[in-house]
Amino acid sequence: MSVPTPEVEPDTSNPRGFGESQWLVDFHDRLLKRANVRVADARPQAWLDTARVCAQERSRDEALRWLESTFDAEHPEVLLKDPRLAWFLPLWRAAAMRLDIAPGVVMTLRAPSEVVGSKERYYSTHVSPVSRTAAWVNHMLHTERATRDMSRAMIRYTDLLDDWTRPIYRLGETFGLTAVRSATARDLRRIHDLIDPDLHRVHTTWDDLEVPKSLRVIVDETWRQLNHLADPDGDSAGVREALDQLRSEYTQLYGDAEAIAESSALAARRKKQPTPPQPDRTEQAPPPSAPVAVPEPAGPRPSRNWLGLRGHRAR
Amino acid sequence: MSAELRLEPGFTPDPDLNGLPSFGRHPFGDRRQSLRRGVTAVVRVKNEARSLPYSLPPVLRATDAVILVDNQSTDGSADLARDLAGRMGLGGRLQVIDYPYPISRCGPEHLGTAPDSVHSLVYFNNWAFSHVRTAYSLKWDGDMVLTTDGEALVSAFCWQVGSQRVNLRLPRHPVYIEDDRVAYVDLGMDNTEHYGHPNQPGYSYVKAFEWEMLRFPHGSRNFTLPAGSCLELKHLGTDEFAHWTTPDAFATSPRTARKRLEYATVVALTAGRWADLPAVHRVEAPKGVHVLEHLDRVWFPKLPRPILSRSLSEAP
Repeated sequence: MSVPTPEVEPDTSNPRGFGESQWLVDFHDRLLKRANVRVADARPQAWLDTARVCAQERSRDEALRWLESTFDAEHPEVLLKDPRLAWFLPLWRAAAMRLDIAPGVVMTLRAPSEVVGSKERYYSTHVSPVSRTAAWVNHMLHTERATRDMSRAMIRYTDLLDDWTRPIYRLGETFGLTAVRSATARDLRRIHDLIDPDLHRVHTTWDDLEVPKSLRVIVDETWRQLNHLADPDGDSAGVREALDQLRSEYTQLYGDAEAIAESSALAARRKKQPTPPQPDRTEQAPPPSAPVAVPEPAGPRPSRNWLGLRGHRAR
Repeated sequence: MSAELRLEPGFTPDPDLNGLPSFGRHPFGDRRQSLRRGVTAVVRVKNEARSLPYSLPPVLRATDAVILVDNQSTDGSADLARDLAGRMGLGGRLQVIDYPYPISRCGPEHLGTAPDSVHSLVYFNNWAFSHVRTAYSLKWDGDMVLTTDGEALVSAFCWQVGSQRVNLRLPRHPVYIEDDRVAYVDLGMDNTEHYGHPNQPGYSYVKAFEWEMLRFPHGSRNFTLPAGSCLELKHLGTDEFAHWTTPDAFATSPRTARKRLEYATVVALTAGRWADLPAVHRVEAPKGVHVLEHLDRVWFPKLPRPILSRSLSEAP
């Protein structure tokens, strides 16, 4: 199984490498920018924003051409790894279909407090732990939903560290991976070299983070339900129903929080607006008592994407 | 006659309409609290038994619910739909309702019909959508077939859209079916229209000159599926223009240019002159494979992008 090269360079957060293709990461970054979505984005509506980008012909064509270039006789099994990928599943799914490639999705499950703790340690300090936690819920619940009708597998991070042979063997069987089925002793040694339990350096718990109770309830239950999916035969209708309910509760919670914080958002927007040009000194200034109109945005600003659409209707 | 139409909760009967509800400008506006998340496709049919085996299964799989509104079909469309859904194990997702009034045909007949008349396409659509119990609706026709690509996109859209005020726009490619193995695909037409909307105030079906149209709040955002998502079936040898008063009804207006093109295409195909149509591709499926399956699995996936207006030499 191959990771298309060049790969993202290792750094201190991941000294043994990320296993991520640089082109893929750059491509996803461009698309995220176009959709105005962050990698860790807590907004439920962001999924539609990235879906819109996935439906654009130029994105689809670019993904298809690159994916096609990664497969050849020497590389019949290709791994695309990037945390941004979840936002663009429809894109890769469509490309795989057109190229007659059978896609499979693997999700790693790591305790949310550790995910947040890890990001707190290695990434920007401008994002609060609450927002990171919300982004985790948004990401996991919607990625789970997006992959339901795909061939998929969930792997617990702790299972990988405890004894990776069992979950990886199961992956090989689930997806019929030659790379796993015909792995040589040399291959296995290399995996042992790569997966090092000592790299499990972040053990943050909820005691270390301040997260509101309303969010914690959803996070804890989401984590509990997702763990069922990592069990053999755990992908049941009951679990999916529970996850649907959690997605609905999270969307409601986010909507409420957004409504409560609307004043802050409007204030931030006003602050960002450029200062209007000063009136000419000869122009008569309004009397001091005149009310000052501060225009408030009527709604979301139109993006370039939809302003450019043709609107004619003829049949 | 009015007793045959169900009055949905949240709607009040109008004495002037023999007890039927009057929809006004906000037919979906007063039920928001009672609507659950999800997407319902409203499939409006009149004698679509030939197309339903291809059109119903993908939309049934992709959405949370399907309401099939049968307008006086005589070919067993409603029973066929129930049978198809039952065989797919999705009978619980399908609701079939009858609309017992004849509807004015597109063109002058429609123009002469008051929008709040039960014979109007406007009233028919607002009534049909008043049965929806989800926050979002798709307007569907019995001849619209989602491709595998389109089905995946619509399926994802159903959980992505939530309660956002977004209109779904869908491009359709006319497919003229000659028989089980041969069809003609028209890639020359940009045929993208609004097919999805939230059930919220500000959205309703209103009257246009030749047909009904969706009214939506100014500044609504669009979500447009890519070309190759949906086919529009037309069976050669049957009257595909029966819902129009006469061909003269779409003879002159710029708004009916597409209909004129479709009519000219049918005339040419029927006369065996498909090669005269530069954007029309003849597709023949391998023996034992239905042409629609071939289009979906092989032909469209291999078609170079952008799809629209490709010359014949570029077709696979």
